[in-house]
Amino acid sequence: MPLLILFVTGDAPRSRRARANLSNMLERLGRSDLTPREVDLLDQPQAGLSYSVFATPSLLKADQQSDGALLYGDLSDEQRLERFLADLLVQKAEAG
Amino acid sequence: MEKRITGITDLDRVTRGGLPAGQTTLVLGEAAAGKTVLALQVLARAIERGEAGLFVSFEESPDQIRRDAAAFTWGPSLLDADSLAVIDARPRLSAETAGEFDLEGLLSIVDATSRQTGAAWIVFDGIDQLLRHQVDHNAAINQIRRVDEACAENGWTLLLTGKTRHDGTEPFHLEGIEFLLSATLILSARIVDQQLNRSLRIAKYRGSGHVTDELPMLIDNDGVALPYHYGDENENIEASDERLSLGVDRLDALLGGGIYRGSTLLISGRPGTAKSTLAGRFAETAATRGQRTLYISFDELEGPYVRNLHSVGINLRDPIAAGRVRFKSLSAYAARVTEHFLAIRRLLDDFDPDCLVIDPISALLKASATEGAEIATERLIDMVRRRGITTILTSLSGVRDPEGEATQGQISTLADSWIVLDYNVRGGERNRSLSIVKSRGSGHSNQQRELLLSDEGLDLAEIYENGGEVLMGTARISKAQEDEATARRKRLEWQQRQNDLEQRIAQAEKERRRLSEMLELEAEEYNEAARFDEQGRNRIRRRRDPEIEEPEHGDGFNDN
Repeated sequence: MPLLILFVTGDAPRSRRARANLSNMLERLGRSDLTPREVDLLDQPQAGLSYSVFATPSLLKADQQSDGALLYGDLSDEQRLERFLADLLVQKAEAG
Repeated sequence: MEKRITGITDLDRVTRGGLPAGQTTLVLGEAAAGKTVLALQVLARAIERGEAGLFVSFEESPDQIRRDAAAFTWGPSLLDADSLAVIDARPRLSAETAGEFDLEGLLSIVDATSRQTGAAWIVFDGIDQLLRHQVDHNAAINQIRRVDEACAENGWTLLLTGKTRHDGTEPFHLEGIEFLLSATLILSARIVDQQLNRSLRIAKYRGSGHVTDELPMLIDNDGVALPYHYGDENENIEASDERLSLGVDRLDALLGGGIYRGSTLLISGRPGTAKSTLAGRFAETAATRGQRTLYISFDELEGPYVRNLHSVGINLRDPIAAGRVRFKSLSAYAARVTEHFLAIRRLLDDFDPDCLVIDPISALLKASATEGAEIATERLIDMVRRRGITTILTSLSGVRDPEGEATQGQISTLADSWIVLDYNVRGGERNRSLSIVKSRGSGHSNQQRELLLSDEGLDLAEIYENGGEVLMGTARISKAQEDEATARRKRLEWQQRQNDLEQRIAQAEKERRRLSEMLELEAEEYNEAARFDEQGRNRIRRRRDPEIEEPEHGDGFNDN
């Protein structure tokens, strides 16, 4: 079960957009069941160090095999976001 | 403008006191131009001063950074310090971009980390590695602006390094950034004649005077240095009236008592014209005065050099042993001109001598560098003059052109005095000659003189002029012998004449004595005869006059 972590900085416009774009995409993919974890680097700068995430907003897709995949930006590029999350759809299909 | 010193003396010199405090300085350069080293060195110097630093690496791993730093003399002070923090901010290779992002997260992390150590110097090394993921160029620009704002808010003095392309232009994602920031340094590393030539240029420094030229830069064990831009540029050079002997009395006399303390003397000449001997004699003489000399020999090792001088009666062994002469042999080919210059500069800093000998300075012409030997020698003369160091530079000249290379290097223009040594070939022999081409502030003889070299050292021969020509060697000797023979002949002639006259005087004296005796004798005879005659006349008178009584006892002849 992959874990999605969205790195944001408070309520900055890009962070807000990223949050909304991610939520929309998950809904479109039929994975509203997944609730991304949110890390606010303004509150938890150490988390940025431990995950090696410095650009915000960023979406980290963690898994058991590797240290995960990272997608920079406010997730406004729907095609990229969809591709990034594509395996979630497959997993859903397998699970269902 | 408030500045923060970098602790790299040369850089602080050309920036007139450091980089803008509480602001971002952009450091641009190609790969391997020295950006990371410069940044690490700034942190090392800050830590040595008791400050703290933070290094954020976007390109190299922390291990690699530590290995980079460990190679330098300041490495340990950087790596052993708790006051250095290194953040590995390398973007993941697989990372993709889906829209605009910013560096707020990074700034939050940097803020938190710098608070732990109180870091005032912060380095973002290779930020272009992260920014190239930024789709929108303007967004990238805005992020750099945001970084600069964070500097002002938090009091960070930040070095932001970024790669330029090989043609020296900045990559697209860094374009326009320098307009935003107060200061930009551009480093370059070009291959010229198979040699790596580094340089640093202050492309921009808003609100501050600075050196604008492209400055030759070196990286060696001590890190980044700008050889020609040292800290101690003393503008008030005291012009000394004191004369320093060259150790050859007759030569000193020609120069009006020696060369001025703090002046520069160029000795040029072909191989074997005794340039080293003259220079060595100067160092030996300086040592006897208690002065210290840095003796730099290009391409000749200390052992043979000192031995060769010893064979002409010059002893550098004792002054070297006593620490009055520091002998340093450098290999001209082994380094670039700027490296040699820096080596000499560091030796001067370390030894702090009264006098300097470089034998021969023309060896710098063999070392390669884009800047050439001219700048190096000019800078060198300027440096020693500012430090008040009495300097002798020798220069090897070509066979056809004894004054050639020295002129080429403009040393002769800059040097205060210039002695040209040469051979004069006549009658199948070579004789060393010396002439003083110039000597600032001194009346000096312009006559070419013969330089004599023997076991006892150096001397100048007496002048032998012949029809306006100075005679040397056998010509001088035979002329001298000829003159001596003439003199001897004249002396003999005079003695002869003297004897002659004396003899004549003696003869005359003898004659005088003879005549004098004759005179005496004849005078006696005459007086005797006269008296005799008088007696005879008296007797006759008495006989003729009976009145006069005949004395009873007359003179003898009456009784006959």
